[in-house]
Amino acid sequence: MSAYILRRLWQILPTLAGVILLVFILFNWVGGDPALVLAGKVTDPAQIENIRRQLGVDQPWWVQLWIFVQQVFTFDFGRSWSTNEEVSRILLTRIGPTLTIMVPVLVLETTLAVLLAVLVAYVRGTVTDRAIMIITTAAMSISFLVYIIVAQWLFGFQLGWFPVQGWTNSFLTNLTVYAPLPILLAVLVGLAPQLRLYRSFLLDEINQDYVRTARAKGLPERRVMLKHVLRNAMIPILTNIAIYLPGLFVGSFLLEVFFAIPGLGREIVGAVNRSDFPVIKAVTVYLAMLTMLVNLLVDVLYRFVDPRVSFK
Amino acid sequence: MTTGPQATPVGAASAATVAMVPPARRSPGLWALAWARLRRDRVAMLSLAIAALFIAVMLASRLGLVAANWDEEIAVSYASPAFLPDAENLEAARSAGIPRPDAGPPVDISDIDPLAPHYGEWAERSAALEQVEGSRRTTLPFGADKWGHDVLLKTIKGSEVSITVGLVAALLATLFGTLLGALAGYWGGRVDDVLEWFYNVFTSIPYILLILSFAAVLSQGLVTIILILGLTGWTGIYRLVRAEYVKHSAREYVRAAQAIGVTDLSRMFAHILPNASHVVLVQFSQHFVQFIKAEVILSFLGLGVPVTMVSWGTMLAEAQEELIIGKWWQLTAAGVSMAVLVTAISLLADAMRDALDPKIR
Amino acid sequence: MRPSSAGAPTRALLIVLCLLAAALRPAAAAAPEKVLRMAFRSVETGFDPQRVDDLYSTAINDQLFEALLEFDYLARPARLVPLAAREVPQPELGGLVYTFRIRPGIYFQDDPAFKGQRRELVARDAEYALKRLVDPQLRSPYAWLVQGKIAGLDAAREHAAKAGRFDYDAPVEGLTLVDRYTLRVRLNSPDYNFIYVFAMSQTAPVAREVIQAYAADTMAHPVGTGPFRLAEWVRRSKIVLVRNPNHRGLALNTTWADPKDETDQRVIAALRGKRLPQLDRVEIYPIEEEQPRFLAFMGGDHDVLQETPAAFIHQVVPNGQLAPNLAAAGVTAHRELAPSITFEIFNMENPLIGGYTPEKVALRRAMVLGHDLPTEIAVLRKGQDMAAQSPIPPGTVGYDPTFTAHESYNPARAKALLDLYGYVDRNGDGWRELPDGSPLLIDYLHTTGGQSARQLAALWVKSMSRIGIRLEPRAVQFSDQLRDRHNGKFMLAAGAWVADYPDGQNFLQLLYGPNAGQSADARFRLPAFDSLYEQALRMPDNEGRNRLYGEMNRLVLAYAPWRLGVIRSYVHLTRPWVLGYKKHPMNHLNVKYLDVDVNMQAKAAR
Repeated sequence: MSAYILRRLWQILPTLAGVILLVFILFNWVGGDPALVLAGKVTDPAQIENIRRQLGVDQPWWVQLWIFVQQVFTFDFGRSWSTNEEVSRILLTRIGPTLTIMVPVLVLETTLAVLLAVLVAYVRGTVTDRAIMIITTAAMSISFLVYIIVAQWLFGFQLGWFPVQGWTNSFLTNLTVYAPLPILLAVLVGLAPQLRLYRSFLLDEINQDYVRTARAKGLPERRVMLKHVLRNAMIPILTNIAIYLPGLFVGSFLLEVFFAIPGLGREIVGAVNRSDFPVIKAVTVYLAMLTMLVNLLVDVLYRFVDPRVSFK
Repeated sequence: MTTGPQATPVGAASAATVAMVPPARRSPGLWALAWARLRRDRVAMLSLAIAALFIAVMLASRLGLVAANWDEEIAVSYASPAFLPDAENLEAARSAGIPRPDAGPPVDISDIDPLAPHYGEWAERSAALEQVEGSRRTTLPFGADKWGHDVLLKTIKGSEVSITVGLVAALLATLFGTLLGALAGYWGGRVDDVLEWFYNVFTSIPYILLILSFAAVLSQGLVTIILILGLTGWTGIYRLVRAEYVKHSAREYVRAAQAIGVTDLSRMFAHILPNASHVVLVQFSQHFVQFIKAEVILSFLGLGVPVTMVSWGTMLAEAQEELIIGKWWQLTAAGVSMAVLVTAISLLADAMRDALDPKIR
Repeated sequence: MRPSSAGAPTRALLIVLCLLAAALRPAAAAAPEKVLRMAFRSVETGFDPQRVDDLYSTAINDQLFEALLEFDYLARPARLVPLAAREVPQPELGGLVYTFRIRPGIYFQDDPAFKGQRRELVARDAEYALKRLVDPQLRSPYAWLVQGKIAGLDAAREHAAKAGRFDYDAPVEGLTLVDRYTLRVRLNSPDYNFIYVFAMSQTAPVAREVIQAYAADTMAHPVGTGPFRLAEWVRRSKIVLVRNPNHRGLALNTTWADPKDETDQRVIAALRGKRLPQLDRVEIYPIEEEQPRFLAFMGGDHDVLQETPAAFIHQVVPNGQLAPNLAAAGVTAHRELAPSITFEIFNMENPLIGGYTPEKVALRRAMVLGHDLPTEIAVLRKGQDMAAQSPIPPGTVGYDPTFTAHESYNPARAKALLDLYGYVDRNGDGWRELPDGSPLLIDYLHTTGGQSARQLAALWVKSMSRIGIRLEPRAVQFSDQLRDRHNGKFMLAAGAWVADYPDGQNFLQLLYGPNAGQSADARFRLPAFDSLYEQALRMPDNEGRNRLYGEMNRLVLAYAPWRLGVIRSYVHLTRPWVLGYKKHPMNHLNVKYLDVDVNMQAKAAR
């Protein structure tokens, strides 16, 4: 087992190299010149040259690539070009608000999706099943942008139930005052695809032989569903959640922008607009690393849980 | 792959032998069966009809049969919909801006003007070209946008770009994903390793970051959006197609084809592909839908279609602030059109999957 | 590197916060806190005065730091008055030398960097700030304010670039410390507008020991002498200012108030006899999307809405009158014509569209005539802005309210002019060609992101197609737009300028030939214009100089290196409990002159 984990860890290296290369090509080669953005309203050539030297963008590309690689492995991306804030600090401080929104979203979404999926699978093939599937399909067909605009107008402006912007240092206030509307919206949009996916996982299990055996033994359908089907379907469901985890940290930039939530998503969009490459590069590379580690973890757990899969 | 001259007789022989090889698990008859199943599904048929209608309208617009004159400013700003003729429209009055109470007469620049020698002729010619602007309408069937464009026509024209983007990008992603998936799944080994590496690199970067990064560095335009969506969206299809190829490569019908010397290329695409095509088809339709929605987000970020074109995404981005001022029609027209089309195609995709893969039900 | 530097600022901040909490508690018990909440429409960068140039960071720095001079709160047009200095210095030697005498007894806010001592503001701090502006390490975006101006500063800068660090102890020829409180500034050549630089927070004195103590992140550790101090900062999300207990206190100066102006009288009545600042706490939230920013005010979360988004203007001032629901709630609307201008730049070096021959002038003039400015104002700007008549906007010295451009939107005249100079359709494709028959295709450069840039581009396409000119918009990232403009790789590009100081020269310099490649992206090089500009630079503000400005305006109209756009106008809204509000054209924020009626505010919240 440890040999397997070691081998998988070893395999991460080439992928990481690929990510580094891709990010480097995108930003250092084709990306815009940050010097002009930073130079101010009057662009004096000496000042431009000075800025480029300070940022190191006047170096040959292989030197820049080498610096980038060093940054990745020392976990030190220096400072944001536009605000001079340490990149690590940016990441650490923006993660909180993003997770304040995304963790409740994940919990609510998963719980609701699993519950509904069981319900739908239980009544599979009936009109209820069909209706729920059609409604959820329609719900996920509306653009997220429309949801946000209409919800801000309706709940924030017309009804005044929720504030449309704001954020404090108190986690509790954030969660109870500022987060509910964004969370609600995210769940509304995210529920349908998850429900559909989990329904298909459950239906896959229902068609397995052991379920038929259980039914043949005369176990009541409800018991079959909860005890056998759900338990077995939990493996793909949990796998799916794990795959979803790294995305949690990016959050929903649309929500963060519209509700002025100081999260990572809003930071990324801002950094792209400002050509603030250290921030974008750091976020991209670390999230890629996180994704790879989560994938590894999922694989290992999967093999652990499901003895049919061997460690070869 | 055998492409030499001797390939021809072998290929010809194979055509004869294929019939004797145990038929592919999904014979063409299965497509007919699936179609029969689909036809019994009323929701699916309705969805199909809706999707066909949208495509027909879009094609008509493409050919210039409808909405060719969508960009004519025929009405006042935010002209009300015809069914709300009395709605108050504060936006209709064309204000000349903040007044300049102390304004003097126009300044004379004739002493320094390089054009001064021709003042006389210039005035004569322009007098001949004077035009009066026609009056603008105050209501339209489904209202007007801020310019005075007919929202209904604009929505139709918008469908053209939205559907084109979704369709072409989905085709690109499907093509890319299927091709790479087939290569990886069929050949395995080194090819698979390289492609898996490629796949891992792409999927470990969060999707939105990938899109933003590409959008940030490429110049704006319709081709760019299609490329961005196509080049970042192939991974899901790749994964599924690869799995199908791994599964089928080991099946006896493929082995048999190999034994009688069918070329790799024809085994990959003539034998296995039809058996994996249901996956491809369903994936294609799901990506189509996903990309129509993605175009909206790109347009919201200002990375979408060029200025001279209109899409549902640019309409929604434009309509962001219209709800608060009570002009809900553009948001509704674009939002509902998109939702209806996307719902129809999603439901159709579901029904197709069920029809093609009966064990699910 | 400094291994402990990461912990120290955090600890310092904690100490500051504890002290602050201790300082505020008895006050809170005695009287309710006066709190003001509002939004910024864009994000801030940071609060090191010499390192920022964006409007919003500068607006905060104006509250935290005190420059030597400031603009009088009530005087219109803008008028310089002393702030940290004892008086506004008179230009000496024909605008070559300025002597600043700093008011003794001004103290910095307490900070651990001062090691428990009270730290008085002295002339050396002002000198230090000016030197910091050109320190290559800081890459200050406002270095150009003093670069090439103060004698010997450029040499110091070049020396620093070579040596790798700026020697702050080395004397600079043009900066003389006469005594503890007196700084004499000597320029390379006379410049009557240079005095304005000292009203900008970019030149505000800073304490060297503070800068050194927080060298790692000076953006987050502003220590000034201003009426407020930074209590809390969640970057790009929340900025909290609290009253600086060390501040000496101010009173409203009513010398320049207009006795007939309603706003002035209201401000005077509200602030009469009060020791400023009155506010205890100001909370500012940067919100980039317009809908939530607007809703935050309408929903009562915010007390002030600066720059009401034009999209919602008819909800606020329909037909120019305050909406009944807002009027009933006691909201006041304040209209401001901002000292800023929008324009489109023609690249005068571009072979197709640039040039000074009648035929090239005719092409540009026809495009200006054919651009549908009335629609831009009526539809895209909702009638809120004013058509610009010259490059000099109102609110600046040298603006002539009577000056009216020689002609306005007239597609018929545009077409006639094109016909006259041979720009006609020669190959029957419906588009005009150049007189020699080669294609006429205009490349219009604008930025991605934001609806307004997109819609302005769409209007250009429409307007030009109406007069038979083919125009293709090219949307690029902001940094790419700057690059292309800077390198002259464009034909037509959108631009805007906000006054750095309220003199027309700040705008005319954008068309001065020798500034090409720096700020003058049009690369307009007309000898007649350049000589007028140089002449005006050597003159103080007087009738003669205004005449020169008028001449330059006429040359700009005749040769059309720009298509003049609009003068931006904004509506600011305040709730009835916000007292003393008057928007100053040069200062985005002026909270030291604001007061809040706490009882009324509390009642409304219930």
